Amino acid sequence: MADAPSTQAVAAARPSLGVVAGETMRRLLLRPEATSVAALVILFCVFSYLSPELFPAKLTYISITSFAAELGIVSIGVTMLMIGGHFDLSVGAVLGLTSYFATVLMRDAGWPPIFAAPAAVLVGAGLGAINGALVVAFRIHSFVVTLGTMLIWRGVVIALTGGFPITVDIPSVFRDVMSGTLIFGFRMSVVWFFAIGAAGTLLLGRTRVGNWIQARGQNEQAARNLGVPVNRVTIFLFMLTSALAAMAGVIQVARFASVDALRGQDMELQAVAVTVIGGTLLSGGYGSVIGTVLGAITFGMIQVGLVLAHAPGHYFRTLTGFIVVAAVILNTSVARRMARSRPLAGFRRGNVETDAALAGEALADNEAGQPTADAARGSP
Amino acid sequence: MTDASPAALPSGSGSREHHMPRRKIDPIPAGAVPVMEAVNISKAFGATTALVDVSLRAYAGRVLALLGDNGAGKSTLIKILCGVFPPDRGELRFQGEPVRFTNPAQARGLGIATVFQDLAVCELLSVTRNVVLGREPQKGFGPFKWLDIKRADEMARSALLKLGVRWERGLDERGVNISGGERQSLAIARAMFFGSSLLVLDEPTSALAVRQAGKVLDHILQARDSGQAVILITHNFRHALSVADDLTVLAQGKVAAHFRRDEIDLDELTDLVARIA
Repeated sequence: MADAPSTQAVAAARPSLGVVAGETMRRLLLRPEATSVAALVILFCVFSYLSPELFPAKLTYISITSFAAELGIVSIGVTMLMIGGHFDLSVGAVLGLTSYFATVLMRDAGWPPIFAAPAAVLVGAGLGAINGALVVAFRIHSFVVTLGTMLIWRGVVIALTGGFPITVDIPSVFRDVMSGTLIFGFRMSVVWFFAIGAAGTLLLGRTRVGNWIQARGQNEQAARNLGVPVNRVTIFLFMLTSALAAMAGVIQVARFASVDALRGQDMELQAVAVTVIGGTLLSGGYGSVIGTVLGAITFGMIQVGLVLAHAPGHYFRTLTGFIVVAAVILNTSVARRMARSRPLAGFRRGNVETDAALAGEALADNEAGQPTADAARGSP
Repeated sequence: MTDASPAALPSGSGSREHHMPRRKIDPIPAGAVPVMEAVNISKAFGATTALVDVSLRAYAGRVLALLGDNGAGKSTLIKILCGVFPPDRGELRFQGEPVRFTNPAQARGLGIATVFQDLAVCELLSVTRNVVLGREPQKGFGPFKWLDIKRADEMARSALLKLGVRWERGLDERGVNISGGERQSLAIARAMFFGSSLLVLDEPTSALAVRQAGKVLDHILQARDSGQAVILITHNFRHALSVADDLTVLAQGKVAAHFRRDEIDLDELTDLVARIA
């Protein structure tokens, strides 16, 4: 770095701080989570203004996260399925049926929860496999298939319960582990929620199956031609989605110590709303589990915030509706925005240098020759 | 254009010969076994006959151009060769051995790489993820396997380098942001990198500008020189003549004509196709 030309080259290759900040911002705005982060921040400000005493309080956060956790776990499955290009309207009914199954195993068969809970999740995976197999075998749109299975399984739950709530004694250890208020008053279900969110993020972004899921959602034919086992990926996704719905069902059984005929009803559409607020494209191929986690918290915030602001109950649906529509509008333009959006000046070369600049590392010390040539060519 | 050929034909490789005269090529070595051979293939879809007794041979280090009008059966033949569906009658032989594919993955397993007309690029995946799709490198142990992103980047970079593509932009660029020519380059790089023995290209130049098309034709020659057998499906006679060693013309589901490149020039080919089509 002693001689003048090399120093110059480094200066040319390394963008100014403002450009780095701008480029970081541009990349963040193109992330699928941008929608839900914006929704969260805006709603937090609005609700804090409307009820300054009550909203920014710990108890509020506990309520929001408890609500978000159960819906969120269901939504994480729905999100991955939607990224893979499918819908599942049956998650609410699966949640109800598997909750019933877990309750009966514990109450009538005398199974301890440690066996009954995994059994319920396995049954959930099995129900999902039926959805997946129907979609793959008959090439019917998953929307219709799962509409059918939703009605079937809801009917089965109503028939089995006779329409009455069924209660069961839950050992306190099980209740505490699944849904107890153990961590500074926050429920354990929040821990499960975040753990599943982290696992889902890793699965989607850091594994082969994750790459296949995204490819399936973007261009099924291309994925198939390149040897991706598209049918197996589809069935796996449906199993995962229903298993997560069953997991949420088990958490609810532990919390309520009961199950009723309408358990999980409406959750299928709420999960789609959460997924969309979280930035996942309805058309599939692109989305984020972290976005869905934030979307579920947004959903909880609307629910709790409106109560604290003394708004009438129906406001919840209306406000949620507005946010969903706004999110869809933002999300559908994501591919367009990506195509239009260009890196800022100084970021037009290979990603190695760009990433180094974003990480704040000095450039081109070791390979002075190569980047110098690139910089000379690249700078307009 | 003082050229006698129909002006309607877009000229892809502009700098090459104008009249595309006969070109000397090496004969097929005696006793050479074709990489892929189709023997009397027939295929019908319901009442529609797509292919009748079609035979062809693709040899290592040679380019076979498959010409024909829309509906001549080119796409059906290609889909049979790469395992999308089986023929009703007839046989496929790979390296001399009879094979029967029930899905594209089997054909891929044998090293039959296909670059499809619909470009086979996932628009919202990065360049790297597109290149390694279906063959992602992994690390880890037991059931815990992660994508080896660093190695995937290396694979993508060396695949493009091997093809001689200077990829100016990042490998994290998403599919939507790369041009049609770059997509074809990517698809061909992918096919070549993963050591295929037969490269099948379905209309690779049809959606491209002149310069980009020239580049793709260069890629085809490179694949040939690296010892692959290449089957090129195209509408464009100039593109076919500029790279092919052998030409097969399909019409109404049958092989209407077959030539070596040193037996035909552009005018003759144009006349012939006009007569039989």
